[in-house]
Amino acid sequence: MRDEQRRNGRAEETISLRIFIYDRILTRGIPPTVVEIAEHFAIDRDDAGRMLAELNIGKTVLVHPATGEIWMAGPFAAASTPYRVLGSQTSWWANCAWDMMGVAFLANEPVRVETSCTDCRAPMTIDVDPRRISRDAGVVHFLLPARRWYDDIGYT
Amino acid sequence: MDRWLGANGAVRGTVVALEQVWRLAEAWYVDPRQARWRPRTRDESQRVLASVGLVGDFWELP
Repeated sequence: MRDEQRRNGRAEETISLRIFIYDRILTRGIPPTVVEIAEHFAIDRDDAGRMLAELNIGKTVLVHPATGEIWMAGPFAAASTPYRVLGSQTSWWANCAWDMMGVAFLANEPVRVETSCTDCRAPMTIDVDPRRISRDAGVVHFLLPARRWYDDIGYT
Repeated sequence: MDRWLGANGAVRGTVVALEQVWRLAEAWYVDPRQARWRPRTRDESQRVLASVGLVGDFWELP
């Protein structure tokens, strides 16, 4: 009984943290820090770090191995990347070209992506509307096969 | 692209049209704020890739 209560409590905690992380990203552009998680849930910093490390939701939210802070919360990046996604109220960093499109779907609004051609470095602007399929002529190069995507996610 | 691959010591992967990447993003990303959201299993993710035409050895998840 006690184990079951503990499991249920952990499950609810996971959902609350996940919702808080994505709410923060979508409204503010970047994920919450461990300190902000601690403040939000009225717990101490160590418990917040542990809560984050134990989130255990596959590869959706990745914690930076050195800092313990949120590194990526797919499709969003916590720090600057070559994919700046501009919404009507907020701007985000996306992890890759696939994710820059994913941001439009999670934000549920048309976005403008400021990036550059990986090859020639020429600046590029791409409009992505989650309600209308993109007909742009560009292409995306997937460098690594799917079986190697998570060997080194930063490189991928 | 060959110039970039050469300069970075990388080998060519697969080139996908933006339109197909849009379809992939639409199928892949579900709002994690939904209470019933859960991480997909490997097989579920594989089916999402296949649903937008990304099939074959290159798209085989580990």
